[in-house]
Amino acid sequence: MQLDFAARELTVKLVYYGPALSGKTTNLQALHDATDPGSTGRLMTLETKDDRTLFFDLLPLTFKGKGDLSVRVKVFTVPGQVIHASTRRLVVQGADGVAFVADSRVTETQHNADAFLDLKQNLKANGLSLKEMPLIIQFNKRDVPGVRTDEEIAQLAAQGREPVYLAVATKGKGVVESFIGLLHLTWSTLEAEHDLGRKFGFDSRAFLGEVASKLGMPRPINEILGACVGGALEVLRPEATP
Amino acid sequence: MTTAPEVRERTLDELTLGSSLSLEELVERSALSEMAKSFHQLFGVPLRIFSDAGVLLADASAQPAIYEYLNENHRRAKAALQEVVAAVKRVDPGPKGEAAYNCFTGGVYHVTAIQYDGRQLGRLVLGPFLPANVKEVPQTLLAVEPEVDVAVAKDLLLRMPRAREETVRQIARHLRGTLDLILFSGHKALLTSSMHLASVRESFRDLQEKNGKLQEAYDRLKELDRLKSNFLATVSHELRTPLTSIIGYSEMLAEGIAGDMTAEQKDFVRTIHEKGEQLLELISGLLDLSKLESGTLAMRRGDVAVDALVADVLQTVSPTARKRGVNLVSDVDSAMPKLWADSTRLRQVLLNLTDNALKFTPPGGTVTIGARATSIDVAPPDDDGGIVLLRSKQAAVELRVSDTGIGIPDPEKPKVFDAFYQVDNSSTRQVGGTGLGLSIVKRLVEAHDGRIAITDNKPSGAVFVVTIPCRRATLS
Repeated sequence: MQLDFAARELTVKLVYYGPALSGKTTNLQALHDATDPGSTGRLMTLETKDDRTLFFDLLPLTFKGKGDLSVRVKVFTVPGQVIHASTRRLVVQGADGVAFVADSRVTETQHNADAFLDLKQNLKANGLSLKEMPLIIQFNKRDVPGVRTDEEIAQLAAQGREPVYLAVATKGKGVVESFIGLLHLTWSTLEAEHDLGRKFGFDSRAFLGEVASKLGMPRPINEILGACVGGALEVLRPEATP
Repeated sequence: MTTAPEVRERTLDELTLGSSLSLEELVERSALSEMAKSFHQLFGVPLRIFSDAGVLLADASAQPAIYEYLNENHRRAKAALQEVVAAVKRVDPGPKGEAAYNCFTGGVYHVTAIQYDGRQLGRLVLGPFLPANVKEVPQTLLAVEPEVDVAVAKDLLLRMPRAREETVRQIARHLRGTLDLILFSGHKALLTSSMHLASVRESFRDLQEKNGKLQEAYDRLKELDRLKSNFLATVSHELRTPLTSIIGYSEMLAEGIAGDMTAEQKDFVRTIHEKGEQLLELISGLLDLSKLESGTLAMRRGDVAVDALVADVLQTVSPTARKRGVNLVSDVDSAMPKLWADSTRLRQVLLNLTDNALKFTPPGGTVTIGARATSIDVAPPDDDGGIVLLRSKQAAVELRVSDTGIGIPDPEKPKVFDAFYQVDNSSTRQVGGTGLGLSIVKRLVEAHDGRIAITDNKPSGAVFVVTIPCRRATLS
């Protein structure tokens, strides 16, 4: 997170992580398509080869909260292919929140697990801890054959800490919900850490509401947050609870 | 004395999250100038681009005729014009991103903010241009310079490019859109190249870390290997001492020195003696091997006559050959050169090979020990040039031990020289042996700078070919 007191401006970094071809870039494209043009810049895709991300994608979003603070959200993806380990380590540096995009197919279970452990390791290499990182998990590609069932995922999600979302990024389904969930979790963590509400008179509920409407989902926030299965959307760290 | 400013690579976060980008680094200055000129040609309005730091990056404007006239003929107007130019450079486009500045001559400047990713990186100055409603020399000019020749001034003023405010705004919007694309591409290129560098650096760091760990593991293994050799040498030595007593006393018992024994007792004692000898052979072999491995085996070189060596070996093994019903044949050329070698070790080589051959040859078969003069190719270990000088043929002796046994299959040939390796484990049960013999033979041959190879004997069997240079090869 970067806070520019003079400009009353806060920059938050969110990273979409996951195994190769799980749909991280597609998530960003769907987010970009859904966002009001006034709130988003161009989606930057760095060096693709055969449609695969080589370095990262970057989607800049800007929101003006109700208080005296404007919020810039930079959404990154990492390259999923195993060989790009060092690039992933660089991109995840300084992340404020992580969305893990998993491939729902049964055959990809091991790749998901490997990528998750890779995330844990790369966070650690950057002095970050997976346990303290605001994190949501998205099971993408719900529309392809051979996926793990909703029941199975719900059952597993109920045992876990992270909010879990089901998505079909190619059709934009579940993309905004995942993003709002991640932003909510990240925001609550940052707010608790930096006391943003008091310093800037910032109303996080209203802010999330604004983000949702700019992302084309003008529904009550609780309803959007309720789209997740399992996990907890409250901030997990004890010092963060009011 | 000045020191160079510290150049620091910016992190990915600084390049994407922060406000460290500047117009100068995102666009190519000469290309920007070309673009500005083409806009100027297209719309006729003068155009300048400033970075946020106030540096003029592109200039497509010519001094208006009225400015030239005033500068040359009117001191006060000249000073006022200088102020105008300086002021235009400082105009803040404000939150709207655009502002107008009116010159006393009646000309107007339009200043637009150049923004990228929500931040102002520079300013675009269009003008001066003459708004449509200006038709006479304005009062503001006369106030600054009352003595101006109004007729001349009017003539010159009306030569200034005319434009409607709305048109200029449109030009500015269009230009901003074009610039935005250029800035996006520039930012993308900047990110790509710095990511490239950073990734390479990160991979290098990662590799170095792994290399360090590998080196550590390698050093540890080498140390362990050294410890193993030491251990082997010590243990072999310590085992040999009590074994010598076991062999000695069992031999004395078997010879009846301590009194008569029943036939059964004699049989038991002989078995103790025989197995003791076997154990001694194994331990000696291990000791040799560890010495050869650590390079501490002392070689006592001298002149060795090959025919005498072969005759000696034949004599030693002939009782065994007779017992097994195998023919022993000597095939030594006449006039053999002498070898500069350790005769005990060379004898060990030949004895070992012949013993082996006898073991694997069925009754009625033949084992031949051959020797002939040959030459060996001495070449430098690497081809760094000078082959013509370094490569040479050296006189050598080839020793061949051939049998008519079962032979060795091709894939097994290189492996038989590994310690404890047996081609067929079942055969070991029949013929015995420690599996150390051939690995010791190979190392002894190499200690003589020689080579050992296996070929097939026709119609069956194997031939071990040992080639040893007559003198030490100096290049290996």
